[in-house]
Amino acid sequence: MVTKSETVSSFVQAAPPGELSNVVEDIKALAPSEVRSLEPAFKKYNEEQYTTVKVSGSSQTVIVSSYNVLDDGRYFDTASQTSFEVDHSSQTALSAQSHTLDSRNADAIQSLLKAFSAAATEHFPSSTVGVYPTDSDSSIAILLVANKYSPQNFWNGRWRSTYLFDPSSKSVSGTVKVDVHYYEDGNVRMSTSKKVEASSSSVEGIVREIAKAENKFQEELNRAFSTLAEGSFKGLRRQLPVTRQRVEWEKIAGYRLGQDIGGGRSKS
Amino acid sequence: MADDQFDAALDLLRRLNPKHTTQNVSHICSLVPSLEEELLASVDQPLEVRRCKKTGRDYLLCDYNRDGDSYRSPWSNEFEPEIEGAEVPTEKVRKMEVKANEAFDVYRELYYEGGISSVYFWSLDDGFAGVVLLKKSSSPSSRASGVWDSIHVLEVQDRGRLAHYKLTSTVILNLGSQAEALGEMDLSGNMTRQVTADLAVDGGAEGEGHVINVGKMVEDMESKMRNLLQEVYFGKAKDVVGDLRSN
Repeated sequence: MVTKSETVSSFVQAAPPGELSNVVEDIKALAPSEVRSLEPAFKKYNEEQYTTVKVSGSSQTVIVSSYNVLDDGRYFDTASQTSFEVDHSSQTALSAQSHTLDSRNADAIQSLLKAFSAAATEHFPSSTVGVYPTDSDSSIAILLVANKYSPQNFWNGRWRSTYLFDPSSKSVSGTVKVDVHYYEDGNVRMSTSKKVEASSSSVEGIVREIAKAENKFQEELNRAFSTLAEGSFKGLRRQLPVTRQRVEWEKIAGYRLGQDIGGGRSKS
Repeated sequence: MADDQFDAALDLLRRLNPKHTTQNVSHICSLVPSLEEELLASVDQPLEVRRCKKTGRDYLLCDYNRDGDSYRSPWSNEFEPEIEGAEVPTEKVRKMEVKANEAFDVYRELYYEGGISSVYFWSLDDGFAGVVLLKKSSSPSSRASGVWDSIHVLEVQDRGRLAHYKLTSTVILNLGSQAEALGEMDLSGNMTRQVTADLAVDGGAEGEGHVINVGKMVEDMESKMRNLLQEVYFGKAKDVVGDLRSN
């Protein structure tokens, strides 16, 4: 038996990119008493969707994720060496303080951050990048989120890349997730998730391999659109019958020849 | 208050993943049970299939051929499971319904080369209403899957020589692909369009004139929607990805 709280939380998690506030308005109308207990749901959403916040002391926006959360619930930013609190329902950062990165891989992290940020601008018109030590400080997490919102045209999209780099084996593995929502006179959703693996001996190499893998994925994705259009879609309903003519409704639904229009009956 | 909740429910269903419409409707009803009847009547969901016990043919289920837990087969005109005093269409409407099912059976084969179709009519004071349903699933393969559901709701008012037709059509289209190079990809959704027309109804004792008009309108509408879906699913979605990242 799913509780009301679990139900509204699942709605929050399923909100399409750029439309969380719309979903919250709907929840307010359907279950107003549950709204005040949505904070944990917002936190989960922000961390999974790589919500970005403006942190004073940083010129760039900063990702909110489970990879850059501190023990006391605050989050930290590698680039600006700050830590901050997040108000999850308003998606804003507060009480920023200076915070020194504490990791045995600090140098690699900073190099990766620089290289990855530069590479991102080559492919993403707009994106936010984050590089953090993972929990055990044995790996490095490389994150990227890119959003495009066009609600006036009824569409929104989000790209999320998540990679874990192992400095000892010099290998990278991760996933790319793309989520697109189109909702003019309907509701159409495209979501895709792809595992990516790469390896290289240098930081620049890693960044290059990631870009290559993402290029390949994007090519495959474009091809998949065509394949689905030519294959599955066509196989569902033809554009025209094999006769290349529209249906002759008079014939298939109309009068039996000679039956109704006076005169004798005849079998055709 | 109830209106606001109904609007919020519809808005929410347009935001959440269309793949999960059935579960989402169920979740919303658990929050506001009073919305259940209205939501089930207004929200389009993938069509369920049943086999007609009498004729052995498949038919599609919807609110319009339902009475309690029983459904009326368009082929046998009987409810399954049987119910006492069930409401079936008048003889006049049933004749037209039979013609429509036959005609759309041909239509279905020509365009869908498989699949299932069902048409249900019922009388109104000044005309009749009906629903034309079509469903096609692609042959299951490990690499790709697809399901198309058409739900055409019509309202026809007799106005002397002409009749006024109002057609509201929804197509639910779910596609999925799983390829090594791509991972998992899901393209799901639904789109709705509406059209009205005033058409002359050629005679015919069994409602042939109406069947012809409805047939043409549905065929026109499906062609337009197929093009629209192609544009949105394979054009727009692809464009948005291109806007996010350029190769």
